[in-house]
Amino acid sequence: MKKQITSSLMSILVGLLAGFVVMMIIALASPDIAFYRVFKGMGLLISGPFNGTHIMTNVGNMIFKATPLIMCGLSVAIAFKTGLFNIGAAGQYLMGTLVSLSIVLNNDCTGKPAKGFFIWLLAVLCGMVAGGIWGCIPGFFKAIFGVNEVIVCIMTNWIAANITSWVFSAQKTIQATGKGGYLITTKATGNATPSLGLDKLFQGANIDLGIFIAVLIALLIHVILNKTTFGFELKSCGYNKDASKYSGMNEKRNIILSMAIAGALSGLGAALYYLNPGIEFNFNAAYMKLPDVGFNGIPVALLAASNPIGSIFSALFVRYINMGGEYMVSAGFNRYSADIIIALIIYFAGFTNLFSSILANINKKKAEKKAIAGENEKCVENGNEQSTENENEKNTENKCETVKEAE
Amino acid sequence: MSDYIIEMNHITKEFPGIIANDDITLNLKKGEIHALLGENGAGKSTLMSVLFGMYKPEKGEIRKNGEVVTINDPNDATALGIGMVHQHFKLVEVFSVLDNIILGAETTKAGIILKKEARRKVLELSDKYGLNIDPDAKIEDITVGMQQRTEILKMLYRENEILIFDEPTAVLTPQEIEELMHIMKNLAKEGKSILFITHKLNEIMAVSDRVSVLRKGKYIGTVDTAKTNVDELSEMMVGRKVQLVVEKGEANPKENVLEISNMSVKNKTNSKLAVNNVSLNVRRGEIVCIAGIDGNGQSEFVHGLTGLEPISNGKIVLNGEDITHKSIRYRNTNGISHIPEDRHKHGLVLDYSLENNMVLQRYFEPKFSEKGFLKFDEIRKYSDELIERFDVRSGQGSITMARSMSGGNQQKAIVAREMDREHDLLIAVQPTRGLDVGAIEYIHSQIVAERNNGKAVLLVSLEIEEVMSLSDRILVMYEGEIVGELDPKKTTIQELGLYMAGAKRGAAK
Repeated sequence: MKKQITSSLMSILVGLLAGFVVMMIIALASPDIAFYRVFKGMGLLISGPFNGTHIMTNVGNMIFKATPLIMCGLSVAIAFKTGLFNIGAAGQYLMGTLVSLSIVLNNDCTGKPAKGFFIWLLAVLCGMVAGGIWGCIPGFFKAIFGVNEVIVCIMTNWIAANITSWVFSAQKTIQATGKGGYLITTKATGNATPSLGLDKLFQGANIDLGIFIAVLIALLIHVILNKTTFGFELKSCGYNKDASKYSGMNEKRNIILSMAIAGALSGLGAALYYLNPGIEFNFNAAYMKLPDVGFNGIPVALLAASNPIGSIFSALFVRYINMGGEYMVSAGFNRYSADIIIALIIYFAGFTNLFSSILANINKKKAEKKAIAGENEKCVENGNEQSTENENEKNTENKCETVKEAE
Repeated sequence: MSDYIIEMNHITKEFPGIIANDDITLNLKKGEIHALLGENGAGKSTLMSVLFGMYKPEKGEIRKNGEVVTINDPNDATALGIGMVHQHFKLVEVFSVLDNIILGAETTKAGIILKKEARRKVLELSDKYGLNIDPDAKIEDITVGMQQRTEILKMLYRENEILIFDEPTAVLTPQEIEELMHIMKNLAKEGKSILFITHKLNEIMAVSDRVSVLRKGKYIGTVDTAKTNVDELSEMMVGRKVQLVVEKGEANPKENVLEISNMSVKNKTNSKLAVNNVSLNVRRGEIVCIAGIDGNGQSEFVHGLTGLEPISNGKIVLNGEDITHKSIRYRNTNGISHIPEDRHKHGLVLDYSLENNMVLQRYFEPKFSEKGFLKFDEIRKYSDELIERFDVRSGQGSITMARSMSGGNQQKAIVAREMDREHDLLIAVQPTRGLDVGAIEYIHSQIVAERNNGKAVLLVSLEIEEVMSLSDRILVMYEGEIVGELDPKKTTIQELGLYMAGAKRGAAK
């Protein structure tokens, strides 16, 4: 546990260093950025939400924006635990958006708070189910036909994107509620996510009930994975499918269930984000671009080493850096270079596995020295174990690379 | 000029936490067959990997003909005339024997391979050493024995003088082993020097001139084969007196536990049947052994029986109940225990702790879970008890990761788990594969105890000695069929070998 946290912090540090180097290169390459501004930019970046005068608002918004990211991080993490790579969080997220927004916007509850809450709850649950069904599809293909889940995930992502644009554009009543016909929001329908007065505490930020739900779900996933027979099976299938089959576990069912849960988590994330009255959804553009949050779930899960509780903190970190990046413009860096630097930091953060293996090697060397110093009566083994371990490290590295390419 | 062609002096090779080779000295005379004996994990393979350039030792030197040489990679080793036949052959299945021999050492002229020249040389060598190979046969079509001879020819073709054989007899029939011994003696007579890694004592006595023994990474000693015996060698290897013969009383078989009729299993890669119309029965209180050379359908047969693979035809009856179409879990929980062939693939979840592996098939039982939540205290208690009772050794007891345990203790953990689960039938597939003499002795005694407790035992083994000493009935499997039923008391190793090689067929029941 301690080792995991150390390696996560190390990868953040290396990410920041890499970002710093790139900032220097950008500053040297662009004549309009004086070199000392690199330090100013870095300062702004690592100050995150604590820049400017509206610190409470910034913090509130940071927490709010972390909510869907926590959910997508959990979505990727639980699939990782079962040995699957859920790169379809974006599509599951869109299906959650589509279903939850459709329910809320088609049921005007202005002036009826009880009904409003009920419709909200229904929308959240249905968004979850929609994401879950969408996640089932790659799980089903993987389990029954052995099709690689990454391929099906990518295809279903784009199908989801087009369905979303298509279905919303067919709903004339919804368009009437939005600005310019395509930006839709729950501001006027009386069934947005309850803010619990948090918007007062954080001075106008979007923060609402959602973050509590996200934290609760993270705890729930932690319990499921570590305390239940179901979690025992999921992890077992992730580590060794053949041994799980040998033990009588239904590994096909577990693959489908794991993807369904992953999908439901992404769908829930979408509902918690878009049911906030302060957020607008542009359905006209949905078919052109997949939501970033779906992909950022991958580094969040990697940085947390697939630990559900860790996902809360890694999602908050990503949003913290995002917020700092927005302020970098005032140091002369334009939005694009700021985005590059942020992306770099976030993806370096995903290299947690690499750092934990480096840490493991350092510890091994220490242990070795001790063993030589002391009496070594242990059974001698040849190098087989080492070589399998090295292979594992290679695999995790490869995974990181796949992630980069996928982006 | 030194007496020795190869001298490995004071070799020390460390891996994190362990010293695999601790100040080992090994001298190889020109023209001798030198056996390297040791249990699993004694450091034999590490030492040979050092000689072959795959590991770099921390201390020590290697001399060839008295001169110090540095071997940084296998290419250096080849240049020095050192060749190795690996336990798992490194051959291209779809290439011909000739192509495999010249692969990587092709003589070319303007980019064209001079095959005629190569063929002449290969045939010459083959004749000289009595290797008897067909240069045009494809590897996938020839026997394991001929594949091995192809590997030997590869070394000879490269004019290697020092030949390393890594457990070469593990995959051969008794007849093929005899042939190999003959070939090895021929090679030595022609001046080649041979290092022969093994833990089979009979082979050492039959073929080697001298034996060096390693134990737990340390050099124990070198003796002349002529001046020693099997008991002394095994004591040197294990460090204590070992019971080499399994002691067991008369079998007392009772009613049928397992009845299989006309079972067939399809081959995964082609349309042939891997298991062809097999019928057999196993009774309470007997050990039935399926003997055969690796790859004759034994694995598929066991997979079909345990439900890991679907069967295409036939019927499986356990305790009078038809379980042909039951799930793996049903079979697991209704009387079948299974020590699988591949402990890393099927037997263990290597990234789970030992305690989790101990309850791999039982975690959902009321004893270990309640309303879907695992009872960690109970699992720990149960695991500790099994570890104690079966003497499973590991770094941190129940919480040790299975991956970090030694092969022998991983196997012991599986044996503990499978024997303690409620069962009527124990299927043990190569339960002693890759284990040292001490562990083998233990597992054999456990299997006999199972039989004496009235369990039915179905043993699948490739080791002839194991088959002969453990079983009460032997069924020989050849190309997916049962080709004979033998009584171990009335048959000989030679006769069994003929059945295994498909040269003889008996009246299969």
